[in-house]
Amino acid sequence: MAGFSAPAVWRGRTHRYRLVAGKCTSCGKLHYPPSYSCPYCGSRSMVEAELPRVGRLMSYSVVYSVPFDSKSRAPVILGLVDLGVARVISEITDASPEDVSVGMQVEAVFRRIAEDGGTGLIVYGIKFRPVKGA
Amino acid sequence: MAYITGVSMVNVDRHYDKGVKRLAAEASSKALEDAEPDTLDYIIVSSSFTYASDVQLDIASYIASYTGFRGVRALAVESGEASGLAAVSVAKSLIDSGLASRVLVVGVDKLSEWPTWKVYGHFSKFYDVEGEGMYSIGMGGIAGILMRLYMETFKVDRLTLAYWPALMHSNAKLNPYAMLRFAITPEKVLEAPPVADPITLLDSFPLGDGAAALVIEGSGRGNVLAELVAVESATGYPSIALPEDPLRFESLERAYQRLTQRADIKEVDVIELHDSFTIMGILELESLRLAERGKAAEAVSRGYFSLGGEGPVVNPSGGLKARGHPIGATGVYQVVEVALQLGGEFPGLKVPDSRHGLAVSVNGSGSSAYIAYLRSVG
Ligand SMILES: [Zn+2]
Repeated sequence: MAGFSAPAVWRGRTHRYRLVAGKCTSCGKLHYPPSYSCPYCGSRSMVEAELPRVGRLMSYSVVYSVPFDSKSRAPVILGLVDLGVARVISEITDASPEDVSVGMQVEAVFRRIAEDGGTGLIVYGIKFRPVKGA
Repeated sequence: MAYITGVSMVNVDRHYDKGVKRLAAEASSKALEDAEPDTLDYIIVSSSFTYASDVQLDIASYIASYTGFRGVRALAVESGEASGLAAVSVAKSLIDSGLASRVLVVGVDKLSEWPTWKVYGHFSKFYDVEGEGMYSIGMGGIAGILMRLYMETFKVDRLTLAYWPALMHSNAKLNPYAMLRFAITPEKVLEAPPVADPITLLDSFPLGDGAAALVIEGSGRGNVLAELVAVESATGYPSIALPEDPLRFESLERAYQRLTQRADIKEVDVIELHDSFTIMGILELESLRLAERGKAAEAVSRGYFSLGGEGPVVNPSGGLKARGHPIGATGVYQVVEVALQLGGEFPGLKVPDSRHGLAVSVNGSGSSAYIAYLRSVG
């Protein structure tokens, strides 16, 4: 996606690089990315918690209608990954659409997730890839 | 009480020869044909891409002066894809509070101004840009995830879901304001190029420009098309990764519940809802309890929501799928279309003797939802 600001990318580095979720100290639930308040009970008492790095692919879409900056690697596989304690939307990498199926095990890897063609800004973060031999 | 006394639409298309102000002015002046400028209290503008694309700030004031209403009070409302109904809800509040007695609502947006890859980048901003919006979700990525999840969860096949766009195209054929006025078969939907698999091009709204306007008045004297009984709304989860069940739009369920507390809705004859993608239309029907969960697509395929079917007629305009979805204008088109149906004046597929209508709008995957209830007069 185009139009990222450098400070915005910098602010999100911890949750994006280490898969850090928000954990509510009132109801105990986790959510990603971390919010100012708990999306479940509304409490603003939050701590950080790293998410498990292996999960199950609940659903996915193979996206062809991508913005300019990801055109060269289209189609992009976008997945809903269930990590047990929380779910995340992420890109599925190191796989072609035929390799991907609902229910498969996927693991987190650190990758380049976006770049801004206008400013040259590169955004790093987590993607998920199929677990080998799973 | 709030009444809709004037309406107008521009045909949804690629209007390369007209800018945002021009489209808004054409729709506004037609809707106001019977009104004197000095009796207009407010103009509420709904536009989303005008901001997303850095085109113009304070757009409401510039539309007001361009159209010939310098001096009127004007403000703009932005609520993503739900902007149009959000603007109608603000206008109705002004009428209900007594602060205004005649308000013009005009929705306008242009998608043909930029190359599609840029427009796709703007679409991703309907979603949380600190969350999934960081990724290349493009046009339909999140809806594609929902569609596959729906098919897996309820064991619904792709062909059954293709009856929705086929119905939308069939409905749009008679609508002179629709962008796509040709019939398609469900099989054609599956053969179309993928946009965000399992979503194909024919499950998706076309990229067009449009403007629609309506006049709301506190007094039911004169030329009244329909009564705007109530508009309700709710916010929802910021991502489909958060709710236990991503196939329920909590925001729409809550908005509908609020609406039924505010107005006694015994029956619904006609609905214009937000089918940006096939799966969105299906999930909205289920959120409104018009179909059992997992059964809406099958109900569509056997004609339940078609003209002459057992259920309410859904999207006789052709919906976002075939009428088009000029983002900030869409909700205004929907209310105009429902009002015209209830007044017996819709120029496309008519729902005979319709007395009760709904318009439904959702941003993204349900970050917000709006619903309006209109009733015929007399
Ligand atoms: Zn909580």
